[in-house]
Amino acid sequence: MNQLFSKSKWKYAFYTVSHPADGYYEIRHRERGSVAIALLLVVLFSFSFSINRISASFIVNDVDPLDVDALTELVSVLLLYGLFCIGNWSITCLMEGEGRLKDIAIAIGYAMIPIIVCFNIGTIVSQFVAQNEEAFYWMIMGIGVAYGLFMMLIGIMEVHNYTLGKTLVTVFLTFIAMFIIIFVVLLFVDLINQVYSFLYSIYQELIFRA
Amino acid sequence: MKKHKLLRKAAAFLFAAAVSISFYGETVYAEEQPYDTYNYDYRGNIVLTPAAYVPSGSVTGLSVGTTNFKEPQDLCVAPDGLVYVADTQNNRIVVLSEDMTQLVRIIDSFDRNGEADGFNQPYGVCVSESGYLYVADSMNKRVVILTPEGGFVNIIDNPRSEILEEGFDFIPIKVTVDYADRAYVISKNAFEGILVFESDGSFTGYFGTIDVKITLWEKFWRKIATKEERSKQQLYIPTEFTGMDVDSGGFIYATNIDSDGVQAVRRLNPQGKDVIQKGENENVGGDLRVYTYGKYSGPSEITDVVYRGKGIYSLLDRKRGRIFTYDKEGNLLYIFGGLGTQEGTFTTPVAIEVIGDQLIVLDAYYGAILKFGETEYGSLINEAVGLRYDGDETKAIEIWQKVLKLDENNELANSGIGKAYLTAGDNKTAMKYLELGMNRKYYSVAWKRYRNEILTENMNTIMTVILVLIAVMIVYRKFLKRLIKEKRAQKKGLKEGGLIR
Repeated sequence: MNQLFSKSKWKYAFYTVSHPADGYYEIRHRERGSVAIALLLVVLFSFSFSINRISASFIVNDVDPLDVDALTELVSVLLLYGLFCIGNWSITCLMEGEGRLKDIAIAIGYAMIPIIVCFNIGTIVSQFVAQNEEAFYWMIMGIGVAYGLFMMLIGIMEVHNYTLGKTLVTVFLTFIAMFIIIFVVLLFVDLINQVYSFLYSIYQELIFRA
Repeated sequence: MKKHKLLRKAAAFLFAAAVSISFYGETVYAEEQPYDTYNYDYRGNIVLTPAAYVPSGSVTGLSVGTTNFKEPQDLCVAPDGLVYVADTQNNRIVVLSEDMTQLVRIIDSFDRNGEADGFNQPYGVCVSESGYLYVADSMNKRVVILTPEGGFVNIIDNPRSEILEEGFDFIPIKVTVDYADRAYVISKNAFEGILVFESDGSFTGYFGTIDVKITLWEKFWRKIATKEERSKQQLYIPTEFTGMDVDSGGFIYATNIDSDGVQAVRRLNPQGKDVIQKGENENVGGDLRVYTYGKYSGPSEITDVVYRGKGIYSLLDRKRGRIFTYDKEGNLLYIFGGLGTQEGTFTTPVAIEVIGDQLIVLDAYYGAILKFGETEYGSLINEAVGLRYDGDETKAIEIWQKVLKLDENNELANSGIGKAYLTAGDNKTAMKYLELGMNRKYYSVAWKRYRNEILTENMNTIMTVILVLIAVMIVYRKFLKRLIKEKRAQKKGLKEGGLIR
């Protein structure tokens, strides 16, 4: 938690944005990153996303305001983040990746910085554009997301000390792993449910007979 | 799945609305109609609206003093106002007076050059602008042209052409006539389109063929299927047309049953090209949200269309007994009607026509003509859309305001008012209404003008602020630089003096 208030850690997060390769290397090998900051950034991203959906100008925004719920969006973003980190970690463990779960979490979290910045700038810019100037808005959003994805890729690559090709393969496998995790979790929940209902019916039987 | 959920939500909302309305006593409108009146908003959600049309009685054969109609299939309002009913199973044409209270005449036979001739299941009926009566005499495989009194004029039968396949069976079921006395005939099993006949009765060709839609997936399966399998598969044939009407410019409105529920009506120009406008939601096919299973599931089945002037046309859906009214731009104006056994509902609606401000619908099973009278809401919308069609948007604004009083969320009214304000130069108010009307295009125009307004108004202030800022920066920099230099020099001096290390 103290890391959240450490000036050098924050500075280093922004250094990573401008120097992704070096930045992520040092995060892995010199402990310059912070999981707390990464988590905070993910939360911030979720908020920026919701803010953009609800208050980007009418001209660029086709979202039904009734559909926007910041809390559900926060939960789903965090779940997806956790799922991706765990999925990637479980795949890279088997594929000689050097990164720890902590490093993966930081790599993804820090990559949110350009996305957060561009989403918020986009929301503000959208208030000023007309329909034929929409392109500016989409360009800003596009650049943010593209740079964020680029940072994630570099992050995973550096943290695990992979080549680009191997990174892409692991990312693909990560998605498969995520599906498997979801499948197993659902299966497990269903089983637990069945056990529960079994025990509950026994309990009811006992109650009625007594 | 999502569709279903939304529908359930909508149904719950409808129920709640009905309950809350019925508790308010006095000014109850929702109870008066035996059907729901609703519309779709920009996002395709169901929104309840006031009724645009309400039932105002019905006409049967008995009520005009003859035997009851037996499965009548078509009706037509002549230019002189008389109503012609094709009383199919009774093999006759019944002519009613303008207000449909009196019987004018019954045409069940005609004198064909000295020979008495009659009809065999006349399916369609139409009166041309020049006053001739066209009867699609289905089982006699001909179209009979008569004078309004029943005198024989001509017969169109047995069309001959190279484009007709061998053994083509001409079974006319619907007929309509344009200003040049060209007859457009829908024949059973003629999938190639509408048959067109010149005024002298010669066949000129097909018109307005509906393209067959084959998805990539179906193509793929056909590719890998063997010849035997392919012969067992269903043929990909276009759907048949179901009903027609002609507008004053000679454009043919023709309906068909669209299995996708996207386009159930075509507006065909004289070349047979479809020139209909589809509006914001790219749909002129009736209901947007439908159940996926159950008795009343699936897209609307449009059986007839009536052109009502000023670009407005109404479609008749036989699946759920609804009448959808669109304007020239393809905006859905209002929806009313329903199936049932109450008065004012249908069992098998087959044809729709317009008399003045009344809509009349023919129900084949009841053998009755149902009348629907315009409410204030309906007439206001019709009027406003008519004014817009004529290009008189400023006059339309007053009427749209009245519509808003009856139906606060009417998007067409909001966007109509917004457009009028935009023309008047009140950009800020225009923006408010255009956003309520979900009209992004015009909102953007209004916003652009409003932005320019603000910029020009505040140009002086903005420029002053910028100049002052620049001045401050220059001064500050110079001052700062000197300060830094002095400080450095001081430090250096101290270092050299050995005071700090």
